[in-house]
Amino acid sequence: MAIVTIDNREVEVKDAISILDAARSIGIDIPTFCFQARLSGLASCRLCLVEIEGQRKLQPSCVTPVMDGMVIKTNTPAVVESRRAMLEFILANHPLDCPVCDKAGECELQDMVFTFGPREGRFSDKKRRFHEKDYRLNSVVVKNANRCVQCQRCVRMCEEIVGAVALGAIGRGAWTEETGFVKSLEGCDHCGNCIEVCPVGSLMNYPYRYKSRPWDLAETDTICPYCGTGCHITVGLRDGNLMRVRSKKDTGINRETLCVKGRFGIDFITDEHRIKRPMVRKNNTLVPVSWRETWNCLQEKLSALIGSKKPVGGLASPRYTNEVLYTFQKLMRTVFKTNSIDSSVKFNVSDGKSPDLYEVLGDIISQRYSRVSLSDALDTDAVLILGGNITDENPVTDYTLRYTLSKKNLKLFIASIRPTRLDTDAGAVFRHLPGEESFILAGVLNGIIGSNKTDVLDKTFNNFETFKNAVKGSGNGGLTGLGGFIKDLVSGINTSKRISLFIGGELLRSSGASTSVQMLHNLINILDILKKVVNIQFLFDLPNQLGAWDMGVMPNMLPGYRRLDDSDGKGLFEKDWGVSLPSDAGDNFVRMMERSAKGEMGGLYILGEDPVLTYPDVNVVKDALSKLDLLIVQDAFLTETAKMADIVLPGSTFAENDGTFTNNEGRLQRVRGFHTPAFDSKKDIEILSHVASLTECKRVPSSSTDAFEEILRLIEPYKGINLQEIGGDGTMTHNSKAESLKKLYVPKISTPERTKALRLVTGNNLFHSGHLSERSRTLKALLDRPFVEINREDAADFNVEDGEDVLVCTRDSDIKVKVRTGRSFPRGVAFIPDNFKDVRLNRLFKRGEYPVCVEIKKV
Amino acid sequence: MFEKSLLKNVGKNKSHVIDSYISSGGYDALKKVLKEYTPEELIQLVKDSSLRGRGGAGFPTGLKWSFVPKDPTLPKYLCCNADEGEPGTFKDREIIEKDPHQLIEGMAIASYAIGVRNAFIYIRGEFVLGANRLEEAISEAYKKGFLGKKILGSDFSLDLSVHRGAGAYICGEETALIESLEGDRGQPRFKPPFPAIKGLYMSPTVVNNVETLSCIPHIVLKGASWFKEIGPEKSPGPKIYCLSGHVKKPGVYELPMGVTLRYLIEEHGEGTNSGKKIKAVIPGGVSAPMFPESGLDIDMDFDSLAAAGSMLGSGGVIVMDETTCIVKVATRIIEFFHHESCGKCTPCREGLEWVSKILIRLESGDGRKGDVELLEDLCNNIFGKTFCPLGDGAVMSLRGALKHFKEEFLYHVDKGGCMVA
Repeated sequence: MAIVTIDNREVEVKDAISILDAARSIGIDIPTFCFQARLSGLASCRLCLVEIEGQRKLQPSCVTPVMDGMVIKTNTPAVVESRRAMLEFILANHPLDCPVCDKAGECELQDMVFTFGPREGRFSDKKRRFHEKDYRLNSVVVKNANRCVQCQRCVRMCEEIVGAVALGAIGRGAWTEETGFVKSLEGCDHCGNCIEVCPVGSLMNYPYRYKSRPWDLAETDTICPYCGTGCHITVGLRDGNLMRVRSKKDTGINRETLCVKGRFGIDFITDEHRIKRPMVRKNNTLVPVSWRETWNCLQEKLSALIGSKKPVGGLASPRYTNEVLYTFQKLMRTVFKTNSIDSSVKFNVSDGKSPDLYEVLGDIISQRYSRVSLSDALDTDAVLILGGNITDENPVTDYTLRYTLSKKNLKLFIASIRPTRLDTDAGAVFRHLPGEESFILAGVLNGIIGSNKTDVLDKTFNNFETFKNAVKGSGNGGLTGLGGFIKDLVSGINTSKRISLFIGGELLRSSGASTSVQMLHNLINILDILKKVVNIQFLFDLPNQLGAWDMGVMPNMLPGYRRLDDSDGKGLFEKDWGVSLPSDAGDNFVRMMERSAKGEMGGLYILGEDPVLTYPDVNVVKDALSKLDLLIVQDAFLTETAKMADIVLPGSTFAENDGTFTNNEGRLQRVRGFHTPAFDSKKDIEILSHVASLTECKRVPSSSTDAFEEILRLIEPYKGINLQEIGGDGTMTHNSKAESLKKLYVPKISTPERTKALRLVTGNNLFHSGHLSERSRTLKALLDRPFVEINREDAADFNVEDGEDVLVCTRDSDIKVKVRTGRSFPRGVAFIPDNFKDVRLNRLFKRGEYPVCVEIKKV
Repeated sequence: MFEKSLLKNVGKNKSHVIDSYISSGGYDALKKVLKEYTPEELIQLVKDSSLRGRGGAGFPTGLKWSFVPKDPTLPKYLCCNADEGEPGTFKDREIIEKDPHQLIEGMAIASYAIGVRNAFIYIRGEFVLGANRLEEAISEAYKKGFLGKKILGSDFSLDLSVHRGAGAYICGEETALIESLEGDRGQPRFKPPFPAIKGLYMSPTVVNNVETLSCIPHIVLKGASWFKEIGPEKSPGPKIYCLSGHVKKPGVYELPMGVTLRYLIEEHGEGTNSGKKIKAVIPGGVSAPMFPESGLDIDMDFDSLAAAGSMLGSGGVIVMDETTCIVKVATRIIEFFHHESCGKCTPCREGLEWVSKILIRLESGDGRKGDVELLEDLCNNIFGKTFCPLGDGAVMSLRGALKHFKEEFLYHVDKGGCMVA
């Protein structure tokens, strides 16, 4: 600790923090331009110069560390005059075109000149002009170099946090211009973080351009609806119309950053395919009708369905709030007396051979999931990222990792299918195929067992010997490069006290997903016993996957992971809800489809999912859905599945719902509606509650406040939380039990076979996530053409060239897309993003077969 | 009688070739050091000699070396600053082109003292001949075993590389030099940490000027006391002065530190080439404020010039006779600094642009009332607030001109033309 005196106030601060931080910690503000909390110090704007006793010159407070006994003055005549002079210098060549500048009203230069002067201009020569007209760097960033103050925040943001290195400075001295050069802009993420950090109107948001003035905007703080990172966004509307999204530098896990989807992608809320009125199928055609007619029709159909005693199932998208999802499962369990509730179509929930995915997942999520903030999880010695592609699926988590890596020395290991942008920062990288995750984990476990004393493991787990033999030999056979990766990773783990595991949601898509999760269990258990501090966090690409499971949108567990055979748990809900609950485990969505195909299912209630487009095997799902007695689809958009429904209920998006999301960290954050439901559509919770009221059942919550009260009362991780006290950073949910599991799974680990065949994988890309992003006009403009990405040499083998139209063929089907070739893309893998509706990618997949073998042919 | 050391080989036939260098006692100092000195003793020797950096700032060289951490596990670097770009300065070029082995030997000895395994010469991009000569000399030195692994059978190894700059004056500033050497944009870095702690690749680094390093072999062979006895006590040693401008015999002159400016110009430069009176002299490269004729009796050493409000800088003396328009000189100098400003900090980037616009206007006869006062005010607003000394240097030179020749500036404002022409 150091004691310093700032403006005659003595204060004790941490050693070596900057004078600026020390001053701000006691409420003394020093103006800055080039300073930005998470970026490297530049000290170039010279606005933060202060006087230090004993030093001849004024010193930049943003980079000068405090020293014990330092006497600092931030308000002497010399300092005040220096600030005025620096601002006068900046203004000398500034165009002063505030009346036509988008930034006016929230411009740091305006604010600062207003506060610190100068009051008059002395510059009378010709101003420097880089160009007469603003120009676009790309479709979302527009630029005016004449206004630039050379703070380089954009350049540092792009390089240090985003990692894109799209921006740089060209020229020298007064003619320095921040822009892209050579081909750097081709690598632009279009995240717009450069716009966010620009203090003046030099880099501007093109879709927002000239649409509003900041003072005309009504702003609402809410949570981004795209991925599970759960970024805080501030949505600005003018006269009820969406104008822009921005981030706030001091709020949320994301601070000043967002990804392209969050900043530019929420205009999906005004997509033309929003359902405007409820629809009922008449003479095999969906007809828009009034709500009254819908309810009448639904009441009739529901009583027939319930009367038929045929099983009913539910499928809800994790894009909905906790309150909606809680209400949905309550509706399913109390009205339809079913546990057949699922929240995902893409996960490989059951392959018939291994235990059900939700069985193993439920344990890990309820007992071992970390529920600590990302920054706490990164306060660690080693990080393993496994499965998925963090750069594409959770860009802001990727930024946070990059930032952390620049600040401290932690070992990073990445095993992923496709290249990520963090590869260059990693100690070791391995490219695997979906399904190989369990083999990798077995190899890691084998390595750990081989290099540690195992007496304590032997004592703890009664099946340790069996387990040891089962993993013996894993990890070195077959796959090139895996042996080295495992060796590095094991030595990284052995030399670390604290280890954080980030598991991509894509791991759950592969065949053998449940085996992978079992091996993950084993790894955590063994590391626990070896006295390592282990954090585990999933990286989902949906905003509320963890929340959906917490809420009990699972076939085998009640809310809060209470097991169906736990009579206390079941009793709790039966008492609170006032009904008896079914005790048999329900079906996951795959089983529902299988049973429906056999004509066993009575009805299905689908909330916001579109299995016709996403279920691997389009024929199976179409056949199964057509055999239902009643298909209810509640959605904001007229999806392919909604087109097959008997009744379509026009629901809402995140923009019209109030409630909460639980992000990947287990952080509960408030979602605030800012948009009025389109035409006759309603808030989702109101629809669900009305559906319940049509039956003889007890009421389900009719507002998110009611639902949240029940959640607080009944679901362990949420107990004790006060909704009103949740601030911009949300609040952490907590794990009910955190004791380590005393068993090891001994699954059969088979050595992966890598044939020459090309394997097709899918997933998110930077610009799109599922089918939601394609409804955003801005995102669609950024990437509207499907493509298949393969390695350059594979392309040569198939005799195709970059940019060419090709056919990607399986045994029974094919699709036509453009081919993209990359040098760093792994060999033997073909990637087609999963978002393009028109491609109907699920024609190529068969359930349980992931990845699928494909061939590429010239058109 | 003063005997030349640094330039003693200049003028000999093929002085840049290793055999020529060895025949005049070259590399004896390196041999002596490896046999007789520990690194600590060597640093002490340089400290005892009171050698001060010849690049301009005059920082004691031995002290700079002693700041480098002794931890043998840390990689350490030596960079020779051969980015000689200060207008009026051409002394390093002479050593590099005519006697490159003197520099190489100096670098080898310095590397031994600091514990360096890899050293670099950052040479101004325009010095094509110099860069080629250095490359040749380095390969000769490798062949003779003065560079490379286990030099002269000792445990000391050193690799030396030449890096050519890309035409930026700012890269002569040590931290900008380091940035540029790393492949980044040539802009200065914030200090602290100083390069001695975190420099090239964030490792301990010493950056020394060509002339400074060339002094080292002589100190080793002739002793610290020999060096200390030359010139004034606080800044001793031989010094290479560069003489240019309106002078009969321009060129490089090796003389003791502390000779007077008048002696240098009149005895060695033989007065003005035109025979006209001297109007003003810039004593140490264009950053150094100029003196009028009446100031020529100043001693040319770090402390005397600093006390007189100027600086020795790089020792680049520019003589101007009475036909010179000082406004034009000031304009040209400011245009140079404005052009070479890296653009990092506000006062240098924007301030010099503003100042140069006013001066260009003034010089061409479009001066306005108040311009001179505005210039003085802008100088105050730039001085002491810039990131690195470039902006300060620019302002100092302009302030020097305004101090001694203000009436010429006012004349330009009032009459729209020049007093002299």
